[in-house]
Amino acid sequence: MALLFVLPAVLLLLSLTIYPLIRTLALSVVQLELSVSPNEKFVGLTNFIKVLTGDSRFWNAMGNTAVLVVVGVAIQLVLGMTLALMAQQMGRGRTIWVTLFLIPIMIAPVVSGFQFRVIFNDTFGPLNYIIEKLTNGVIQPPAWTANPDTSLLTIMMTDVWQWAPFMMLLILAGLESISPELLEAAKVDGANAWQLFWRIKLPLLMSVIIIGLLIRMMDTFKTFDLVVLLTNGGPGDSSETIAYYTYLNGFQFFSMGYTAAMAFIQLIVIIIISRVFLSIQKRQRGADE
Amino acid sequence: MFRIRFSFVLFTTFVLLLGAVVLAQDAPQPLGITEFEPCQPFDNVTVTVVGDAGHNLAPYDFWKDDFAAMGITIEIVEVPFADVYQKLKTEFVGQTGAFDVVTFYPAYIGDFASNGYLLPLDEFMAREPAAVWDPHQDDVLAPFRELYNKFGGQTYALTIDGDVLVLMYRQDLFDNADEQAAFKEKYGKDLMPPETWDDWLQVAEFFTRKAGDTLAGETLTEDFYGASEFAKRSFSYAWFMNRAASAGVVYFDENMNPRINEPGAVAGLQNMMDTLKFAPPDVLNSGYDELRDLFIQGRTAMVVQWTDVPKKAADPTQSKIAGKVGVGRVPGTEVNGEVVHRSMMPVGRVVAVAADSDVPEAAYCVAKHIAYNRSLEDVSTSLTGLDPYRQSHLDHPEAFAALMGEENAAAYLAGLNQALADGFPDIFIPGSAQYQDALDLEVNRALSGEITAQEALDNVAAKWNEITDTLGRENQVAVWQQALESYRALGLIE
Repeated sequence: MALLFVLPAVLLLLSLTIYPLIRTLALSVVQLELSVSPNEKFVGLTNFIKVLTGDSRFWNAMGNTAVLVVVGVAIQLVLGMTLALMAQQMGRGRTIWVTLFLIPIMIAPVVSGFQFRVIFNDTFGPLNYIIEKLTNGVIQPPAWTANPDTSLLTIMMTDVWQWAPFMMLLILAGLESISPELLEAAKVDGANAWQLFWRIKLPLLMSVIIIGLLIRMMDTFKTFDLVVLLTNGGPGDSSETIAYYTYLNGFQFFSMGYTAAMAFIQLIVIIIISRVFLSIQKRQRGADE
Repeated sequence: MFRIRFSFVLFTTFVLLLGAVVLAQDAPQPLGITEFEPCQPFDNVTVTVVGDAGHNLAPYDFWKDDFAAMGITIEIVEVPFADVYQKLKTEFVGQTGAFDVVTFYPAYIGDFASNGYLLPLDEFMAREPAAVWDPHQDDVLAPFRELYNKFGGQTYALTIDGDVLVLMYRQDLFDNADEQAAFKEKYGKDLMPPETWDDWLQVAEFFTRKAGDTLAGETLTEDFYGASEFAKRSFSYAWFMNRAASAGVVYFDENMNPRINEPGAVAGLQNMMDTLKFAPPDVLNSGYDELRDLFIQGRTAMVVQWTDVPKKAADPTQSKIAGKVGVGRVPGTEVNGEVVHRSMMPVGRVVAVAADSDVPEAAYCVAKHIAYNRSLEDVSTSLTGLDPYRQSHLDHPEAFAALMGEENAAAYLAGLNQALADGFPDIFIPGSAQYQDALDLEVNRALSGEITAQEALDNVAAKWNEITDTLGRENQVAVWQQALESYRALGLIE
């Protein structure tokens, strides 16, 4: 009887998660070039070896993605933390403050990508115009999306603009859950604001921060829409992310076996990152208890 | 209660206004120039048409009464521009039969036709009476007919959009006496639209001015650029191939060994890299929109662009340079004492009948109606982005006069005629997306200064060999040799 109750959920899980995963794994060991033929040819681990040892573009895309994940999410954390601490200090204006910062989260990435494409435009965009006016032409800002040194930065800045408020929201909720008595007691014992933050608030926020980082890292690892809208991966391959490169292989080149191998490698990377963060969180929770 | 009533009135007003705006979107009137007879009425069949979203699907709406008279209801599926290939390929592989008429970029004809996704059209085209069935392919300009409609000797698609690149320049600047004199003094020759890519660089250098400088007797309030390029990832390869092809470079030799790193191609890429000195600072992220706006906002002297841009430049509601635009041949390269011109034909659109269509006959009638019967109306309006591709389009400047005036229309079509005669195709064999992406990436890396022109094109050659081996060299060579026959027929190679 109990089995019957869980059967629908199990079937759903098998059909929506397990089957595609197994099918992708099966695809990763065949050569399937749909642009020339629908026939599959078993090639063993060749696709994996080719991705890992013979595809410099894959590693370049992984490198770009790593920059977005590590640097971009770190900036989101710092900004989110700062905004949350500011919000906590506010009285009446807090609701408006939080609501305003929620707007970027509500906007679809495709829209924010388009907005920033206009903002970063060197010829017609407002950003460089403002910089030049404010500095009286002393600072000559770069052509942001057209410069290989700054193109990835534009994607990162857009992502930070959109998602730092998410970190703010999460951390603010964490801050609200800290017992005021605890903070009062620390104050009575002579703790200053800095010590309150480092010794009380931050340790108690660690679980929330780890979850926030995990969500944002996994999400940033899949950055695709901003790349398409802002740079198309260029100039050259300076802003090509792994999600964009995987898309090209899968849905432009239709090299299905190769793409499956690439997707599996990414899955393994994401699983490793998740495991690391979850084990840190587990250790943290153990320490708290 | 008042609030509800007010909201209702507001909503109704909004809906009515929206309706008025939608209705205001005009449709071109039948010109009565093309002679045809419609297909005999079908028994209320529905034909599903798929294509890139936006104004290029508008003709199906323009001519809905024509289709209704044929007993055909059109159902349109719009797909974003960049996703057309992906969408079609996925549906074809899945054999879903979702579409009857498919609109796609002809670079994929080799892929779609060789995999059996499309119905050969020759049998329909030969049916009698000719007024109903014949799409007059002999009227279609040779590069489109031979390279983009046929595969393996059979016709699989009909052109509906004759994309080719043309040179556009500021006629008023070239005609200015002060500028002519200054040019003559500096370079010792007359100022005229560039004949070669070397001339292009000179003219670009000459017209590049800073804010505060004088241009044609007027003081500039912002920087002015001599030329610009499509240097963004996606089609930058086409702007490079304009140069390489004019130096006699074809993508591969008979055995599919890449020819893309030959000296002529390297010089061509170097020329494109050198042009960037005279282009806006953000040229590396300049695509169709940016390049068009730069030109029609009067910020550059010359661009090479698709043939719909002169139509937009002629429209004073969106252009600051209406009436000041010249259209001409894309510059060329001197080979054996003769200047050879080549204009790339990137994108373009063709329609075909899906092999798994349940209503192939009706689907063909729809395709033919758009590709021939009403094509002159569709290419001579600013309501679509479709460009001329038939001799009959070029022979009727009066059809374009309402849009740009008789004189401009004649000059536009004359420029187009030349550009089309120079047409050079994309790679259109299976795997074209991979070959093009590899070329585009390396061209872009060279443009951004990451690597030299020679390194970039050597990388392309190596990558192309890898792609050919992965896709199956033997088959690829066979398909390529068929393509070369078309190149030969058009005189693109000896």
